[in-house]
Amino acid sequence: MLKLEGVTKRFGGLTAVREVSLEVREGDLLGIIGPNGAGKTTLFHMISGYYRPDEGRILYEGRDVTGLPPHAICRLGLTRTFQIVKPFGNLSVRDNVMIGALTRLRHVREARREAERVIEICGLSPHAEARAKGLPIGLRKRLEVARALATKPRLLLLDEVMAGLNPTELAGIIELIRRLHADGLSLIIIEHIMAAMMRLAQRIAVLHHGEKIAEGTPAEITRDRRVIDAYLGEEFVLAEA
Amino acid sequence: MPPALRRHAGALAVFGAAAVVPLVSRDNYFLDSVVLILLWGALSAAWNVAGGYAGQVSIGHASFFGIGAYAAALAGTRFNASPWLGMLVGVAISLAAGLVIGYLSNRLKGPYFALATIAFSQVLLIAASRWRGFTSGSEGIPVPFRPGFWTLGLGHVAWLYMALAVCLLYYAVGVYLERSRVGYQLAGVREDEDAAEALGIATRRLKVGAIALSAALTSMCGTLWAQYVGFVDAFYVFSVDLSVRFALNTIIGGTGTALGPFLGSILITSLETYLRAAFAGATSGYTGIYLIIYGVVLILVVRFAPEGLTGIAARLRGRWARA
Repeated sequence: MLKLEGVTKRFGGLTAVREVSLEVREGDLLGIIGPNGAGKTTLFHMISGYYRPDEGRILYEGRDVTGLPPHAICRLGLTRTFQIVKPFGNLSVRDNVMIGALTRLRHVREARREAERVIEICGLSPHAEARAKGLPIGLRKRLEVARALATKPRLLLLDEVMAGLNPTELAGIIELIRRLHADGLSLIIIEHIMAAMMRLAQRIAVLHHGEKIAEGTPAEITRDRRVIDAYLGEEFVLAEA
Repeated sequence: MPPALRRHAGALAVFGAAAVVPLVSRDNYFLDSVVLILLWGALSAAWNVAGGYAGQVSIGHASFFGIGAYAAALAGTRFNASPWLGMLVGVAISLAAGLVIGYLSNRLKGPYFALATIAFSQVLLIAASRWRGFTSGSEGIPVPFRPGFWTLGLGHVAWLYMALAVCLLYYAVGVYLERSRVGYQLAGVREDEDAAEALGIATRRLKVGAIALSAALTSMCGTLWAQYVGFVDAFYVFSVDLSVRFALNTIIGGTGTALGPFLGSILITSLETYLRAAFAGATSGYTGIYLIIYGVVLILVVRFAPEGLTGIAARLRGRWARA
């Protein structure tokens, strides 16, 4: 469904992402891990259209989407959330989600109904009237997901939606992601919380200094020498074992 | 009260009051004040489309006002054409200029955008004041009064209803931008452009569209104003003062609300008219004091009612509902 072919992004002398190739199939739940500055978010920016790759191609459902603007990519059914959440702060939760729904729906009334449905799924119903700005971070992360879902994506990129959450919130969002995946949504997830990633992802790709150093099932990844050296560390492997 | 009526109760009161003015008074000075309140209100509502709904704060909207004013004045004096035709030409030019400004808004953000719009209006000011052969330069153009609808030579009462019709139209535009699909998408663009893009909104096109529409609406009123006042002076119609006035009325009334710009205009225009009259004449020694009072009012509004007069109204309504 999504295919990256040798994608590279440079900022001046720094190569943030170097010749990364990746494939996501329908129904996949792919995790991307790596230390800070490994190029994970830059990769998301390229897939979703915010950055144009310097080299390589991005194919979505067989179509070359390299260099398309984000809104066009979203309309094709691929959207993302932001690591640093970007709610429409002065609007209510309902209006936030409704604006997402309006991408597929012509009429405000239909979009409002669709927003209610998505808000319900994401467990935001008690907060539908609240201003987005006033929500605690856990709910703002959920709102970020809800708004993206309202555009009816088939592939959703989640950029650290679990960071900064307490254990209860974390369990809630993992449950939500599981449910969305079970309903047929394909996902790519950037996350630092390894325990969550091990349980969620079917496959994991590891980025380090902008390069993909490994890809495989969570079990394979934890055994990979380069991944242990670059990211996980010996303690993690011992703890897991 | 049915909800639709309740939603527009404020507008009904404001525009209804304006409509009955000629039935109550035929005093030309009073009628003149009302026409100006309405015209400034409509102009602020036009500014609100870009500055309020789309969040693209321009301090150069006098550009479009001046284009509209000059287009009609020149149509009449140079080509002996109807000011209505001049209005159309003005709107066309302003649309084009709006597209240029809109393009700038995709390159420049916030204060940089505002500065660029100021610069744009000043370029037009220089062009209009130097191109003597065509625009009569800094002498300005007196617009001859030729009675009739087609030549826009109207009496005060007719002008009042003309201005009122424009206000209703612009209010309707505002209501549309509050409740429609495009309006919600524009709100998304205003709140966070990156997020709006991710949700499938063509943010650039939407912003440019809003700015161009705002420019066209401003231009129309520029024409009407010039025909009403009867004189076009480059240093007035392209002035930063004027651009600031459009923004100020809207901010004081309530940015991004349909009625706000009109409320702002009622407060500011009548305050100004009153203060000017009250402290007029070199002998009073307070000739410029209206500017100080004007400034104080602005400070008070920004300090105590940052959401403008409509914000105060909403707060009061909330309090009543609870009581």
